[in-house]
Amino acid sequence: MNQNSKKYPKRFARSFRLLPKVVLPVLLMCFISVTAIAQEATIFGKITDANTGEPLLGVNVILKGTSNGVSSDMEGNYRINGVSPGDVLTFSFLGFESEEVVVGAQQEINVSLEPVADELDELVIVGYGRKKKRNLTGSIASVGSEEIAESNQQDPVSILQGRAAGVQVTSNSGAPGGAITIRVRGNSSLNSGNDPLYVVDGVPIESNSLSSLNGTENFGLNPLSDINPGDIESIEILKDAASTAIYGSRAANGVVMITTKRGKEGKARIDVNAFTGVSEISRKLSVLNASQYREVIIDSYKNMDNPVEPTYAVLDSLSPRNNGDVDWQDEVLRVAPQYKVDFSVRGGSENIKYAWSSSFLNQDGIILNSNYKRVTSRLNVDFNATDKLKFGQSLSYTNGINNRINAGGSGNLSVVRELLIRPPSYSMYLPDGSLNGYQWGKRNPVGLAELATHLNKTNRIIGNEYVEYEFTEGLKIRSNLNLDYISMKEDEFLPSTLDYRPGYNSGAVRSINNLTWGNETYVTYDNQFDEIHNLSALTGLSFQKWKYERTGLDGMFFSSDNIRTLNGAGTISNQDVNIITEHSMLSYFGRVSYDYKGKYLAEVNLRADGSSRFGRDNRFGYFPSASVGWRFSDEEFLKNNRTVNDAKLRLSVGQTGNEAIGNYTSQGEFAVGANYLDNSGATPTVMPNSGLTWETTTQYNAGLDVALWKNRVSFSADVYLKQTDDLLYNVPIPRTTGFSYITQNIGSIENKGVEFALNSRNMVGDFQWDTNFNISSNRNVVTDLPDELLTNGYIQNGKYHILKEGLPIGTFYGWKFNGVYARDEDNVNGVTYGALGQQFKGGDPIWDDVNGDNIINGDDRQIIGDATPDFFGGITNNFSYKNFSLGVFFQFSYGNDIYSEINHQRNSVVRYNNLSTDALNRWREQGDVTNFPKPVRDDPLNSDSRIQSRWVEDGSYIKLKNVNLRYQFPTELIDHLGLARLDAYITGSNLITWTHYTGFDPDVNSYSGLRAGVDEGSYPQSRTLIFGLNFGF
Amino acid sequence: MKKILFTIVLFSVFSCSQDILDKEPVSSFSAQGFYKTTSDAQAGVYGIYDAVQSTFRLNFAYWGEGRADAVNTNHSGDPLVLQQNTLSKTINSARWNSIYETISRANYAIKYIPLVSDGEFGLQLVGQARALRALSYFYAVRIWGDVPLITEPYESGEQDLFVERTNKEEVLDQIVADLQFAAENTRDSYGGGKDRILITKGSANALLTKVYMLRNEYENAIESADKVLNNSLYSLMSISDWSRIFTTGYTNESIFEVGYDETQTNSLRVLYALGSDSDYFPSDKFRNSFEDGDLRKNLIYDTSEEQPRKIWKFFGEGFDDESADPSSNNIVLIRLADIILLKAEALNKLGETEKALELLNVIRERAGLPELDEAEATAMYGDVESAILHERLIELSFEGHRWFDLVRTGRAIDVMQPINGLNDEGNLVWPIHEDALNRNPNLEQNSFYQ
Repeated sequence: MNQNSKKYPKRFARSFRLLPKVVLPVLLMCFISVTAIAQEATIFGKITDANTGEPLLGVNVILKGTSNGVSSDMEGNYRINGVSPGDVLTFSFLGFESEEVVVGAQQEINVSLEPVADELDELVIVGYGRKKKRNLTGSIASVGSEEIAESNQQDPVSILQGRAAGVQVTSNSGAPGGAITIRVRGNSSLNSGNDPLYVVDGVPIESNSLSSLNGTENFGLNPLSDINPGDIESIEILKDAASTAIYGSRAANGVVMITTKRGKEGKARIDVNAFTGVSEISRKLSVLNASQYREVIIDSYKNMDNPVEPTYAVLDSLSPRNNGDVDWQDEVLRVAPQYKVDFSVRGGSENIKYAWSSSFLNQDGIILNSNYKRVTSRLNVDFNATDKLKFGQSLSYTNGINNRINAGGSGNLSVVRELLIRPPSYSMYLPDGSLNGYQWGKRNPVGLAELATHLNKTNRIIGNEYVEYEFTEGLKIRSNLNLDYISMKEDEFLPSTLDYRPGYNSGAVRSINNLTWGNETYVTYDNQFDEIHNLSALTGLSFQKWKYERTGLDGMFFSSDNIRTLNGAGTISNQDVNIITEHSMLSYFGRVSYDYKGKYLAEVNLRADGSSRFGRDNRFGYFPSASVGWRFSDEEFLKNNRTVNDAKLRLSVGQTGNEAIGNYTSQGEFAVGANYLDNSGATPTVMPNSGLTWETTTQYNAGLDVALWKNRVSFSADVYLKQTDDLLYNVPIPRTTGFSYITQNIGSIENKGVEFALNSRNMVGDFQWDTNFNISSNRNVVTDLPDELLTNGYIQNGKYHILKEGLPIGTFYGWKFNGVYARDEDNVNGVTYGALGQQFKGGDPIWDDVNGDNIINGDDRQIIGDATPDFFGGITNNFSYKNFSLGVFFQFSYGNDIYSEINHQRNSVVRYNNLSTDALNRWREQGDVTNFPKPVRDDPLNSDSRIQSRWVEDGSYIKLKNVNLRYQFPTELIDHLGLARLDAYITGSNLITWTHYTGFDPDVNSYSGLRAGVDEGSYPQSRTLIFGLNFGF
Repeated sequence: MKKILFTIVLFSVFSCSQDILDKEPVSSFSAQGFYKTTSDAQAGVYGIYDAVQSTFRLNFAYWGEGRADAVNTNHSGDPLVLQQNTLSKTINSARWNSIYETISRANYAIKYIPLVSDGEFGLQLVGQARALRALSYFYAVRIWGDVPLITEPYESGEQDLFVERTNKEEVLDQIVADLQFAAENTRDSYGGGKDRILITKGSANALLTKVYMLRNEYENAIESADKVLNNSLYSLMSISDWSRIFTTGYTNESIFEVGYDETQTNSLRVLYALGSDSDYFPSDKFRNSFEDGDLRKNLIYDTSEEQPRKIWKFFGEGFDDESADPSSNNIVLIRLADIILLKAEALNKLGETEKALELLNVIRERAGLPELDEAEATAMYGDVESAILHERLIELSFEGHRWFDLVRTGRAIDVMQPINGLNDEGNLVWPIHEDALNRNPNLEQNSFYQ
């Protein structure tokens, strides 16, 4: 009694101390809440990891059936009010089994959560469904929302760079929203598409750039930028035939499945993610100043065979056009701000689940005036009409405004080129104060960036509406209505200030509508027999239609540079008035998967695709695949092994296709618009080939998935062989036919490679350290080309590359530069330029005389480089300690060469371009030992113009691509602020690059497609630093 | 519920009929879908002219003037190469692409128009097509010598794509046959400006005259020239209107000109009068070869300049080469003065010197120059033929005739050797472009360029 009487006051005292914290709110709630009743109590306790005993932070504790919920703090403690005996508390945490506890009389409830037995039970998206990772028999790489959040990339493709084995991503442009090249297991096509199929929430979307701005070669946009990465739950890349064959004729280059976040049952979760930051050029290049430049020009006259007095006006440093001394990079490049806000609400009840999100991005590019603004909005809804009938949708809308500048590509309309090659002496302004826009073949890059218009405005809707009906347990029918609609408007204007012809300006307007829509209906069946046989099957049919429509007007002689709409044009040229093209597909597909106790697995797929692009007799293609898996860790000999806890062998074989050719190529084409003055004319433009059919890729894959030491270390290794036959190729034919090519099925390509991906939890506990590493190697070889296509044994592929049997697609071909003759006598063999030409002298380049005939001509060309890397990949290290987490991501590519056309341009005296500071080492007089030849006006020996190894550089690099530091504010503070979550983070992107490449950035690719590894002067990559806040209610 | 399911299944099945795979082009014709109507036939022929525009846009000057003595240049690329006679298989003017595009389009028209329209309408269209094919081959044989002779359209990869070169004389036979057909079947007149920019009977005969002269068939040349001279469509402009032949086009002196406008432009400006950097300016030799009192001199270039840097013949006296005007003038390929002088040349060859001088003097008189008799002509120029050729040099200057005249009359080496060292008959043709050789292993390069 005594003891008791002692105890009571203590308890009382404690209650009093808690009063302000707990009782007061409870009292308040009593007043507010009409449902509140007297017996409600506060429940508290500690939540721990059942395996390690460590406290768990951020576990959701929810009073079931209400919106009352809290989360645990750093010590794993939680405290929840308003709970009555008999209520159920749900404890849920990512990666752990949820637990439900019925509240009894006790106030303290300690819970230990079991980790999810196996990450292999995670579901992975596959074609027309999802599958447990455990049961996969194909090769699939997966990137999750955390990696997406860390990457700070604003489109889903860039995220994949270095993060998915077998996926090679190179940037065509560093511009906001700029184009990107992605290759899944190498190039498998010569000149039809090499891009994978993109499927967003089940919708096969348009992934080709539709931008059609004039005079802007290599100037595509990245259509995937229309998808906000913040909305993405996961990205899966289907690589082998077992995974891709279900997409048949579009799957030869792999399939990228993008799945967006959906609502989950529970209280509405509101998230805001906002960041702001800046980017700047990652590396500036050195150029000559005005006096150094003039010296080179004088030298180039002096070095002529019959030297003439320099007449070039640039030498007159007193001329007002020519008295400048500018590094144009300083005038054009800037520190560019950017910011983004993501807002989302996700939640739902048993029958309706929703996920609504909206985001706004405003990103300035590092070149003056370039800017990308994007608004996205998405509503994903799932609802159960009855127990058996479900409806739902994934619907997104994007509005993008991209104020582009012309960068990349050849010609003097490119800002990037001009900012490196416009002579430093050219003045910015003329004496009358106007911009010196055009002078002797060079445009003012400031003018190009600020005065020229290249505006792209995109509206896009991607939607999937579905209905699903369950006949009986395991047997369902589902029908999707898919839609991807892009409406684009583009404006273009080049003011007369930038033209060599006074008063000559030009403009254009384009309106593009692209609609693809279709339906997929399929029946699925899943069942387990006798608890050991698992069977699932799928069969369905689909159609898809595409319609592209472009309306455009070009105009010139606008009365003023200030009126840029086409009504101001003096002359309208209507060559591009209105074009419509269409395409359609009809498909049937099916799949059967079986496994015996999860130990022996097998799957077969078949798809039949019909396409309007092919001749009537060749319309349907059949794409089968088969795969098996063996979980040998379940066999007796490994069952009780303490090291190996899971091990599986996968084998697959199958065929996929490629139908990426012109819509009407097989029918041949007579184009209209070949007018003679006002008389409309028509001309044959495409030679028909009714026998055209698919490219077929046969792929073999063997894979091994192993998990060790209770999943502390897991890795996957794959080897594959991809053989592509019947390549669709625009075969060059004699122009005497009136055509330049005919599209035929010819030749073969082979890709083979190895992929390795490793996940390791190096340290667990308070201080955590995880490592993800992947590395891939792909060997590409052209295995067969028809003899009639070959000239001297190869096909010239654009300016820099050749295609030849036994060589990879990105092979550079030209003359090998062996240095510079120090003096005339050094040309001991009397090597001449061409058969009749003069001898090379001191200061001229030494060309490798392959055939030893002492004549340098076309026969002396040789392989001078290869754009394909030996291997590439990435490594991420994630560290976390208490509330801090740090992600460090390196990305690398090794063994690829770059043909640096931009370095050629910026060392080209012939064009009177400004030069790199390398030119200070140029050959000047007999005896100079250097690698920089003498500049000679008019380039009589083609020293400048020939394709040469001098411009081939090692493009290997390793990049500190991303560093992400995140701080999670303590629970007390969060509670105090009335928030559910609060994180602050700093992300730095593209921070350091280790490379020998001398251009802006080795991650460069001016041409997508086959002409890989050429740097024509793309929009430079930038280094970005952002600061962000992520909070939730 | 059942209704919903039924709708789904019905929708799927209904929409999946294989008809959805039949997609004919919307904004163009399939190869099988064209040449179905008479309007297709007309459009097909205008499409040939479209290719003719491409052929002559720039090259009429590179081919006809670039290697000759009337022009000079500072411009690297083809102009310098041609002028210095350092031709190689990579120069642009060695490409025959648009010539064969013209021929291909003509071959389609010639094959298919008779199936669509077999009356007069069809015949005159085929006539135009054949004349344009002949025009293309006529340039081809003069530029490359033997060339592949192709008279059927290519409609499938199964056809023989890799055609060898055909003997030049055989090609010329085809040219003559085509032009004779055109002279029979095209119309006398289409009314208005079209008479100058489409192939008429007159233009077919004028072309024939030029072909016969190339083949040294002087009687035939005179016969066809007479048909032109007697054609009421054509008459000489007065000297006060002489410039209008080029500046406005569509004059009565014009026999065939390639039409251009503000959007279908050519390169006349780039060639002759663009800023300070046009391809060509008159050579010293040309400027010094005028007789005193020649009224044309000031109409051709700015005589007030010590070093004239532009030719304003095509744009009018006083033309400002800094102007922003597009290059939209028509390119006059054949005009009456050309045919008159060719007939004079033919007459002279046949010994009818008097008649020849009569025609020569018609042209001289217009230029304000005194009449020449045989003695004066011989005294001034060595012989009557030389006097006629000199007249062609001045009268037809920069119009794309000079080089062909020099080669046709066997004077190219004499005239050009002092200028650029030309000394080999085999060098008179162009090389076949590398690209053509690469595409067709059955082609052999001209021996001089091997």
